Amino acid sequence: MALLVLTLTPLIAALASLAMRAVRPLEVLAVLAALLECGAAAVAAVTVSAAGRYGSGALALDSLGMVVLTTVVLVGTAASLYSVGYLRQEVAKGIIGFRRVKQYYVLLHLFLMAMLYGVCTVNPIMMWIAVEATTLSTAFLISFYNKPTAMEAAWKYLIINSIGLLLGFFGTLLFFAAGSPGAQSAFVTWEALGGGAGAFNATLVKIAFLFILIGYGTKTGLVPMHTWLPDAHSKAPSPISALLSGALLNCALLAILKFKVIADAALGPAFAQNLLIFFGLVSIAIPAFIIVIQKNYKRLFAYSSVEHMGIITLGFGFGGLGSFAALLHMIYHSLAKSVLFFSAGNCLLKYGSTKIDRVGGALDALPVTGKVLLVGFLAITGVPPFGLFLTEVYILTAGIAAHPLVVVVALFLLALIFVGFLRFIAAMVFGAAPEPPVRGEMNPLTIVPPVALLALLLTIGIYLPPPLEAWITAAAEILR
Amino acid sequence: MRPIAPQTLLFLEIAIFSAAVFLHLTKKNSSAVRLYVAQSAAVSFLLMVPAFAEPSALLLTALVATVAVKLLVAPYFFFGLIRRHRLRFSVSTYLNTPVTVLIIAALAAFTQTEAFRPLTQLAAGGDRSLLLSVATIMISLFLIINRKGALSQMLGILSLENGIVSFALFAGLEQSPGLQLGITFNILIWIIIATVFISMIYRQFGSLDVTAMKRLTE
Repeated sequence: MALLVLTLTPLIAALASLAMRAVRPLEVLAVLAALLECGAAAVAAVTVSAAGRYGSGALALDSLGMVVLTTVVLVGTAASLYSVGYLRQEVAKGIIGFRRVKQYYVLLHLFLMAMLYGVCTVNPIMMWIAVEATTLSTAFLISFYNKPTAMEAAWKYLIINSIGLLLGFFGTLLFFAAGSPGAQSAFVTWEALGGGAGAFNATLVKIAFLFILIGYGTKTGLVPMHTWLPDAHSKAPSPISALLSGALLNCALLAILKFKVIADAALGPAFAQNLLIFFGLVSIAIPAFIIVIQKNYKRLFAYSSVEHMGIITLGFGFGGLGSFAALLHMIYHSLAKSVLFFSAGNCLLKYGSTKIDRVGGALDALPVTGKVLLVGFLAITGVPPFGLFLTEVYILTAGIAAHPLVVVVALFLLALIFVGFLRFIAAMVFGAAPEPPVRGEMNPLTIVPPVALLALLLTIGIYLPPPLEAWITAAAEILR
Repeated sequence: MRPIAPQTLLFLEIAIFSAAVFLHLTKKNSSAVRLYVAQSAAVSFLLMVPAFAEPSALLLTALVATVAVKLLVAPYFFFGLIRRHRLRFSVSTYLNTPVTVLIIAALAAFTQTEAFRPLTQLAAGGDRSLLLSVATIMISLFLIINRKGALSQMLGILSLENGIVSFALFAGLEQSPGLQLGITFNILIWIIIATVFISMIYRQFGSLDVTAMKRLTE
């Protein structure tokens, strides 16, 4: 029941938003829907903690799904709240009007619905449809400001992800074929597909997993299929950037992980692990060199997302402790990156530019956002006591024995990223702006979500609540 | 119902493959759309085989929906775009025609090598048809990469989808009618959104040439 509420709430909210004739009801509806989704997710979480699984029929959640669902619901709720304050400012500045606000909320609800359904569905094809639906619902959010650059980013996003997902679809079909050549696949569940994995045709599973990795890896932002990501994240409205980075990438990665479990059962862990290590390391390396030469802070955060997806993928590649740390890293990254994108939104509203050299003295101009940005930077680059430090250490430790060279290279790249990031964030927070803006925050609603997420990030970085630890341990067991 | 002869199935697959090849060669947008319609007609015919072998209301509904989307809705949108923006000729390719043909030949030959041998296990006596589907997939991917026009890229993606569907059918992987309806609905939404985007691109850039989109360089 809770999963039905979880997936239907955003759909109903989207339909209701279509009928709204004023901004305020749209805002109230967005917040109420987000809270209802939180409640439904909490009900599911309690059962998953106790029984390891929740739901039956077409919608069900295990511990692995629960970890991803947590990131979607947390970032979704924060983004819904933040959107209220953010869009109010844009309306006040005359950037958008009521029609755009309405369009935004309808698409936001549809985007959330697609992600929530994708995580909860028990069928691989329905998951594919849901992930494809995220592309369709977000394309217009990326082109939201109707500028040539936004249009370019959205077209690139639509085409690259459509190709990627079609290849993912091909991989899914190959998995079905590897299991039962010539048979009708009907409504095959993840469980049924995994159950017979031991008897799968090994060569076909290898080809299938490669297509899955390239297909869903495109949506996850793994290098070299990542090219849509910096453009889309930098052109979308900031709350959508947070959702793209903090929630959507995890949903696509979930598909890869679910297929990895099946591939491991058919082939043993080595095949998938080697591929994940390769894609993980490349996904850390390329952004590391691009981050150093960035000029746009939203693109900087976007490349950081590619890098973190690389770290997470590397963790799953190493396996064991690496899988546990990667799952925890996924949660920490979602929170930290949302904090940074919300701060980026506040900077954009204040300075009117996403160029790093146009933003300076944020600590003075935006007293709260400046501090949040600084602390968010420390968190995302893995400075202690933030959880990302520990998870990065765990991931690297998990791989040191079997892949020492990979670990050394990754360590060097992480240091390079820290230095590159530090340079830009220091300039934004402490430097001088070419045209200093009026001091002060714009709207409490643009402050509360990032501060709340930051507090949560710091708290669970120091103290991991037992239920969360239980889900992650159980999810890591599934991936073992 | 009597099963369809393997020769008929092979003929349909050759039609799907040929449409993908000619999509590379055609210069007129309207011809490209007609080629896509022809390819979709062949795919729809393949879909009819399971629908008529074990007829059910839901299966027939899924078939009708697929035919409606691929053969009616998609061309309606595409021809509307061509008329509205007078997009008579498609913008050029990155590679010239002889090189393009050579690469198509190489891709088709590559699918007949040992590397693709494992896939033939999936086909019940229809090895060549299955590998032609793989060649269609690869040639459609090449179409998306090689064409500079947004409309051609869109047709490339739909041709890729046709290639995958034909592969699934030759591998005996028909989806349940409910899933088929879901996939068709997804394609319908994709076509509508991509068409709207093409109109928006034309308004913003005055052309469908994607090489004009060079502003995101930082």
